[in-house]
Amino acid sequence: MTKTTTRLRELIRSGKPVLVPGCYNAMTAKIFETVGFPAVYMSGYGTSLALLGMPDAGLATMSEMHLNARYIANAVGVPVVADADNGYGNAINVIRTVREYVQTGVAGIHIEDQVMPKRCGHVAGKQVVSLDEAAGKYRAADAARRELDPDFVIIARTDARGASGGTLDDAIRRANAYLDAGADMAFVEGPTSVAEVERVCREVKGPIFYNQTGVSPRLSRDEMERLGIAITIFAGAAHRATMQAVYDFGVALRDEGPGAEARFIERFAKHPIGNVHQFAGFDQIRAWEEAFLPPDELAKYQGSVGHQPDKAGGPRSA
Amino acid sequence: MRSTTRLRQLLREPGIVVAPGAYDGFSARLIEAAGFKTIYMTGAGTAASHLGQPDLGLTTLTEMATHAGHLASCVNVPVIADADTGYGNALNVIRTVREYERAGVAGLHIEDQVAPKKCGHIAGKQVIPAKEFADKIRAATEYRTDPDFVVIARTDARAVTGLDDAIERANLYAEAGADMIFFEAPQSEDEMARVAREVGAPLLANMVAGGKTPPVKLTDLERLGYKLVIFPGVAMAAAVTAIEHALTRLKDTGSDWPDGPVLSPMDIFKRVGFDWWHAIEERFK
Repeated sequence: MTKTTTRLRELIRSGKPVLVPGCYNAMTAKIFETVGFPAVYMSGYGTSLALLGMPDAGLATMSEMHLNARYIANAVGVPVVADADNGYGNAINVIRTVREYVQTGVAGIHIEDQVMPKRCGHVAGKQVVSLDEAAGKYRAADAARRELDPDFVIIARTDARGASGGTLDDAIRRANAYLDAGADMAFVEGPTSVAEVERVCREVKGPIFYNQTGVSPRLSRDEMERLGIAITIFAGAAHRATMQAVYDFGVALRDEGPGAEARFIERFAKHPIGNVHQFAGFDQIRAWEEAFLPPDELAKYQGSVGHQPDKAGGPRSA
Repeated sequence: MRSTTRLRQLLREPGIVVAPGAYDGFSARLIEAAGFKTIYMTGAGTAASHLGQPDLGLTTLTEMATHAGHLASCVNVPVIADADTGYGNALNVIRTVREYERAGVAGLHIEDQVAPKKCGHIAGKQVIPAKEFADKIRAATEYRTDPDFVVIARTDARAVTGLDDAIERANLYAEAGADMIFFEAPQSEDEMARVAREVGAPLLANMVAGGKTPPVKLTDLERLGYKLVIFPGVAMAAAVTAIEHALTRLKDTGSDWPDGPVLSPMDIFKRVGFDWWHAIEERFK
């Protein structure tokens, strides 16, 4: 099978805007893959919130981020694009960061030009390092991935538009400089209008990565195709949907008691991923057991209570 | 008793406290077995042993805290751990203190270098403004959950802005709440004496063979007024020499039998708690 890094490059070149939803862990990545998305995105905001219960303020460490990226990449077959914040330091740290992320099995990362510690791209108070310092980091990232996997995708994100005193002109200038330094895609974070997105797409000389969230306009598929956006992420998709669903369920359980859980299970059973054991992969486990364990071992299923996995590996194993 | 409280008690007793540097669980065990009352976790040694990399700010908070936890859990004496710059600004320092507390160490030191940091004894260090670092120390002391957790402020300013500024910084950090001052890399015994005279806080001395500070005898450090002395490289330097020697021998002779007495696998297991575990095995079998 083609490497995920190569497949991500094919997606970028497809000429159609690729819609990539943001997940925050292996489960939500699997859900988006099941729905049929050709790639998933690992949100740093979502990782920080889900893993640490903390805001996206540069508190999550590189170790925590790449570990989460690895769990996600191991859980799905589609390419994963992961948030790598500012590369966790200077150009030297970026080399380590790229190496660690390549090993996780993700297909690409974005690295931004914010100071340490960084913050969410859609929260005020951002600051950026100098263009030259940032360009050095992308040169370092480019060199590091060439050693390990030249197809690994380096996305240069500039936060200059929303930084204190920042302008779109500066952001466009930086995006072009970062592409020259060796980045594959430009990610201008936080344009505030369609006109700004149009300028980015016109004036940045490389494939465009667009984050459809926060202060930035929502665009239709047709608009994105017209503008020439290669990839658009919906960074907060999974954690926002999860937050709402879990909160509402919690309120129902608190107010209505156990009946709320019973009613939920009844509804969920009819849901496309309502067979949780199957979704989790027990059919695959059963198929592996059939293939690799002594036949006597399979007797454990006889007369045992609970979900009986499909020994053919279930519907998703084909 | 918690290790934090034990460390505070040790620091209140008369005399200088010696903390040899451990770079992993094995070296921590050997330090404890040798009778030392406290252990120092070296960041340079962690980077070297854990990652096989130099001390250039490549290790993450997660790696350092995890490593500190491994050390603290295999010994009974308090562990003081290197926490570099606190891995970011005052907010990151709050997270760092909490992670180190959970790791079970008794104290940490945070330095006023820019992130990513460099080893205190190599050129090219940079420091952040004194006020900014004082705020980081304030954040560390206000947000520790265990009041006995020891926060040591380290200044690297001697090599950057000079002795006078570094002394001024040390006093500012003490006022901000640091329990102890780690004045990194004074360049002579006279400088160490001046630091001891002019800094109004308990002091940590850092003895690094081959570093920028000359070796000073323990009795002299004590006389000057230093309360704690760390020898970060003692175990690692010994290990490097011994391992290189053994490997050369293996290459030359094709044998791993040493010149001197032979350490059997059991001799080694006994140094990492075999007897303790064996006694438990006997009780529960």
